[in-house]
Amino acid sequence: MAIPPIAALEIGTSRTVMCVGETDENGRVKITGVGTYPTIGVRKGQVIDLNQARVGVESASKQAEKQADVSIWQVLLATSGGHIQAGVNPGMLTIRSNDHVVSHEDVEEVTENAKEIQIDADRQVLHTITQSFTVDDQPGIVKPEGMRCKVLTLNVMAVHGLKNRIDNAVSVAKSAQLDVTDVAFSGVCAALAVLTPEQRRNGVVLVDLGGGTTNYIAYCNNVISAVGCVAVGGDHVTNDIALAFNIPLNRAEEVKRAEGSAVIDAESGGRRVTLRGEVGFEEKVISCKALHTVINARMDETFRVLRSKLDEAGVLPHLGAGIILTGGGAYLRKVTDLAHRVFGLPCRIGLPVNVDGLEAVEQPASFSSAAGLALYGRMTYEDRGLFAPVKNIFKGWFGR
Amino acid sequence: MSQEQQTGLLLLGVGGGGCRLAAAVRSAYGSGIRALGVDTDALSNRTASEGGMTCLLLGGSRLAGHGTGGDAIQGRMAAQDDIQNLLPHLQGVRTVVITACLGAGTGGGATPEIVKTLHDMGIATVCFVTRPFAFEGEARRKAAERVLPMIEENADSLVVVPLDDLFGDAGGGLLSDAVQVAEGLMAAGITMLWRVLSKPGFIRLDPERLHAMVLRGGNARFGYGSAEGSDRAAHAFEALRSSRLLRAGDALSKANALLLGILAGRDLRLAEIGDIMGQVRVACKGDCQIEMGTVLDAQYDGRIELVALAFESWTASVQLPASESRKEAAAPAAEPPVAEAFPIQPGSRKSKAKASKLSFGATGRGKFQNVEPTIYKGEDLDVPTFIRRGITLDR
Repeated sequence: MAIPPIAALEIGTSRTVMCVGETDENGRVKITGVGTYPTIGVRKGQVIDLNQARVGVESASKQAEKQADVSIWQVLLATSGGHIQAGVNPGMLTIRSNDHVVSHEDVEEVTENAKEIQIDADRQVLHTITQSFTVDDQPGIVKPEGMRCKVLTLNVMAVHGLKNRIDNAVSVAKSAQLDVTDVAFSGVCAALAVLTPEQRRNGVVLVDLGGGTTNYIAYCNNVISAVGCVAVGGDHVTNDIALAFNIPLNRAEEVKRAEGSAVIDAESGGRRVTLRGEVGFEEKVISCKALHTVINARMDETFRVLRSKLDEAGVLPHLGAGIILTGGGAYLRKVTDLAHRVFGLPCRIGLPVNVDGLEAVEQPASFSSAAGLALYGRMTYEDRGLFAPVKNIFKGWFGR
Repeated sequence: MSQEQQTGLLLLGVGGGGCRLAAAVRSAYGSGIRALGVDTDALSNRTASEGGMTCLLLGGSRLAGHGTGGDAIQGRMAAQDDIQNLLPHLQGVRTVVITACLGAGTGGGATPEIVKTLHDMGIATVCFVTRPFAFEGEARRKAAERVLPMIEENADSLVVVPLDDLFGDAGGGLLSDAVQVAEGLMAAGITMLWRVLSKPGFIRLDPERLHAMVLRGGNARFGYGSAEGSDRAAHAFEALRSSRLLRAGDALSKANALLLGILAGRDLRLAEIGDIMGQVRVACKGDCQIEMGTVLDAQYDGRIELVALAFESWTASVQLPASESRKEAAAPAAEPPVAEAFPIQPGSRKSKAKASKLSFGATGRGKFQNVEPTIYKGEDLDVPTFIRRGITLDR
């Protein structure tokens, strides 16, 4: 079955990305078209101005269409924001057969039970992720079929967000004449693109450092154990710099990219950076150490918030593969060193290795979630994945 | 539960100087004191540990046990890194007495962070911090002054002891001994306070009393005096009153609340307590809330030692205007030589802390002015972290 090209749209806080992914004969997704445009009208992942946000979508869409030589009218949409939450819902079933052997029907029934999630009326479920079965009192069972037990329990993690926030993002796409077929959480998409099966087995946390939000997803023993979003991102770093040195946001962004560092080190001491003057902006000299102090304080805090959230979820002791950073924020100098210090775990930058075609782009890690969304689209299109390398991991793990 | 755990009091030394003070108090007091040291320098930690005091290393992954090199920012971050290691030692603790020497990296950087954590946990804190000697230079003095408002913001009670004052009491030792002598004297004072709080006496001044007092007391001054021989009660009080730590009686006359401990042998007479209390009442304001306790111990036979904590911003008491005549009588013309002594205005703790934040030149949410705030554990994360953490930027 030939799979048509999939268009993945991410309306990020700092830029809008449209990726067109095509599936090759080996089942791998290759990004054939990429369009990006600076976003205006989005703060912390949430749309605050529909019209301004639409401009970004239209421009990114045009670029991607041209590059991939396709016409886009249907898209998948990645969403994020502080409203995204995840909760575990257990489903239980008493095995009624006389021999107490779990049948395929029992597994299906308990899955249905677990997916009946009680959430507030104003929230919408984005993903239901199957975790593991508990057979009587034995947890961590992957395939319970054929086992003997009286009570079968299945834990399902539901990722959900506020309906109106998600609808706002959908409206932006609609206003740009694009039909949204599915909405996914950016953090989940990034994990699809970046994490290798081995990392998932060993236990890993993927931290997607975005412009307005920081998404995280933790795997323990191949199971998604924690998902969430903190509405703090690169924009906050820029804002902090702008306020600290009394400079405009665009100059703060420039100096962050050129001279920023997440760690205050010997190199920062005594050095000063000159911000060249232009019309309406007088030349200014700022201390490198002060700049790094401002960035360090923010990044350190963000990582600490994540650490406490992961600690609450009880995943910190199970992270053999450490921390993987992706997203635009991962290119901040020495950010891996800081994460290593805060989490006390090995840390490195993760690129979207499960997707081809991004070799030539600059800073590929900042395309992780959009590329992962294309992959997600391919998997859901095929009704829960059939191709390597992701098929075994995600078979049956995603549903709507 | 051991006796040291029953008291609910913990002595916590922060940084090299703070640990030395805590260790000195611990060795002077003997067993039964619950003391803990935290430092970023592994070497000084080991020295303190050799004395038998538990010492925790802060910022091991950041500084590799080499200390902060005088950088308070490093000290602050080291404390943030490892603050969780402190938590197991806080079981059953209701009041923490912190000792720290300001002016350097760990004492200055880690103390505000630790105080904030303890405050958030609902544990009362009494901070005994020293200001560096004048001869240590302007940079250290400024570093110490920058930190004080940050400690003040969250500490329930803050006792600032200028080391120069202690040195004056020491009677002018060798310059090289100055730090040791001054710290030794301070440790002696804290030890006396600890004895008053933890040893049973006929008139009990228990840790709960201190807990209640520091929660409302605010900034405090601390002093002590001792005397023996005939008329020892009057002499001991005179020594206390005239001590430079209490600013030659000025602190007593301005105090809204006073915690007074009398340590004496079994030969303490009722008349002597009456004598001391009579003089205290004269020296203090009429509406000053006085809490007194006695400790009778054979080791003090023939001697009386007095230790006092004078709280200047006691908030629970009704602020009656003191009569002018009393003010004039009590405030001596002879101002102590330490003219730049830390000025403490009654009731100004929170407002001063806010003012120090404003001095960073930037507050507020900037770009995130009109968006839904990101609140985490009661903090608005949209406000720059460096402002919320009170980090001073090197401009």
